[in-house]
Amino acid sequence: MNPAEQPPLLDVRGLSLEFRTRSGVVHALERVDLQIRRGEIVGLVGESGSGKSVLSYALMGISDRAARVTAGSAIFGGLDLLQADEATLADIRGREISMIFQSPRTALNPIRTVGRQIADVLRRHAVGDAHQRGPDLGHNLRQRAVQALREVAISDPERRVDAYPFEMSGGMCQRVMIALALACRPGLLVADEPTTGLDVTTQAAVMDLITELARQRQMAALFITHDLALAADYCDRLVVMHAGHVVEAGPAEELFHRPRHPYTARLLSSSPGPRSALQDLHPVPGNLPDLRRSDLPACRFADRCARADARCRSEPAQLMAQGRHTVACWHPTQGAVPITEAMA
Amino acid sequence: MTHTPTSAVATAVATDGAALHAGTASDPILRVERLHKRFPVSGARGSSLHAVDDVSLDIGRGESVGLVGESGCGKSTLVRLLARLHDASEGRILFDGQDLSEIPALRFARSPWRSAIQMVFQDPTDSLNPRYTARDTIAEPLKLLTTLTREQEQSRVQALAEQVGLPAELLDRYPHQLSGGQKARVGIARALAVQPRLLILDEPTAALDVSVQAVVLQLLQRLRQELGLSCLFVSHDLNVVRLLTDRVAVMYLGRIVEVGPSEAVFRHPRHPYTKALVSSIPGQGPRIKLSGEVASPIDPPSQVCRLHGRCPIGQDVCARQMPLLRAIGDDVNHRAACHFIDPA
Repeated sequence: MNPAEQPPLLDVRGLSLEFRTRSGVVHALERVDLQIRRGEIVGLVGESGSGKSVLSYALMGISDRAARVTAGSAIFGGLDLLQADEATLADIRGREISMIFQSPRTALNPIRTVGRQIADVLRRHAVGDAHQRGPDLGHNLRQRAVQALREVAISDPERRVDAYPFEMSGGMCQRVMIALALACRPGLLVADEPTTGLDVTTQAAVMDLITELARQRQMAALFITHDLALAADYCDRLVVMHAGHVVEAGPAEELFHRPRHPYTARLLSSSPGPRSALQDLHPVPGNLPDLRRSDLPACRFADRCARADARCRSEPAQLMAQGRHTVACWHPTQGAVPITEAMA
Repeated sequence: MTHTPTSAVATAVATDGAALHAGTASDPILRVERLHKRFPVSGARGSSLHAVDDVSLDIGRGESVGLVGESGCGKSTLVRLLARLHDASEGRILFDGQDLSEIPALRFARSPWRSAIQMVFQDPTDSLNPRYTARDTIAEPLKLLTTLTREQEQSRVQALAEQVGLPAELLDRYPHQLSGGQKARVGIARALAVQPRLLILDEPTAALDVSVQAVVLQLLQRLRQELGLSCLFVSHDLNVVRLLTDRVAVMYLGRIVEVGPSEAVFRHPRHPYTKALVSSIPGQGPRIKLSGEVASPIDPPSQVCRLHGRCPIGQDVCARQMPLLRAIGDDVNHRAACHFIDPA
């Protein structure tokens, strides 16, 4: 079946989230929609501060204590993740939804061997025979940890299973993170900038590994990055965020080559490509708006946008679609038709 | 603006047997001759980690040279040797004819040569003192290395802020009150304060968002042209290196494996490692994968090519004879260290 026709594995609708801080309420996410289907790799792209990580933390139920979800739902396998209690989420985390964090060195426990860290996950979720207590348990868990390391292409896993994170390179630590995240064969993997700080060659190897495993296991993956070119290389679909809004979403190739939202277009033109010259780079003007403002314009990009007019500031942009490519803008850079007409 | 190949190039080529001068410039501001840095390995008497291995490189006046390679390849050690933060084990660092390697690293900090070579560090947050205002930070090198009066010092700080596009009203802010791009500007102004002749930039934009990165790259290019600076630009973002450099040197496991005009190296890489590196840039199409892991830098055999074992075109001779840098085709400036370079 065409993945586009399956019901989504994760269906986020109208998610709004705010942080209550001493200096005011930060409107971090507003009416965010996001769908991911089984076997699909979705890239979530935007500048730092656009709400990518806030969104993924909210899905995992690991938001900061100051965060409040004010509207919306996130349905995963029939369960609303935003309403679920901590015990339910704790069972889901690591088993059905896993996360790979930025900077593997700090995310791994420095004083536990990588083998024991993998065994911890297996034991917590009693995967396979891990619930059968007995003299063989330790040995079994170790064997499974070795197997998990082998699956992420770590050479000499029998020896490396006893290594501490500091004994490994950054790329290898990231592989261990992936092994940890995939140990219980989750249905959804959330990878938050998994290759930031890694070299291009290591980056390519890590991305190959994640996408290969995702395809093999029909796993869905949400890949968070600020590198549009990287996302376009590896993802099926891209979702672009700006200041807590989803501004554009669509098939990766199409969105990368024919961006509709002025923000996506500027983001693309500010990234150096393999053939661009320095004078071709056009930085996005201005900064992200202060999300504590009570008078935020309806389109949060309006103050940075050359195409903005009075309507952009007062009326939330209608979602426009062309095929599977949607854009939230009153003045998209290329012809798109209002989504209501497209559906009719 | 860039160096012009002259007879000095030809001389360097003639003495190629000694593998001298990976980079060639007629009257270089910096000439590195057969530089080595070995670190003792604790717990293994007599063993040493060969971080920089027989590196020779020239930087011409007003020239910008890129240094690329994976983490662990010795880029940072080489930079620290050139910035005189480490003492070399062997070899010479000639700056404007003066052998800087004779001045111990400990004394160099207060030597008049300190002003000649300045550095812009990787993370603008980590490399600024959190208890110094932007003004204090930029004035610090002036206090240490010049005899300016307080008044002169302040007007110099103002001028520097203007030069790097930092609004004067931000000068009294602390790092946590500045954005990433503003902090990057403070770091650049600090490096320029004592009017260096060689600027070493260690991943100056790695911690920045793409849109901010574009602004900083354009600023660096403008400063280079205005001040006629010579630059050594270290980065693992190859797209960025290509934009800001005239020539580029590729390092692998402590050695320079390829050097040449940036356009030529990125468009037609010759060394198998450079080919793999360039093919890993996102948005490039098919990727060349190197098998296995980087070999150990501890006591590497002196006659074995560092890439041996991972190289897709390696043969027996690569394990018996270390390939030296040699010119490829007609361009004497483009050189690679491989026995099997295809001239095409």
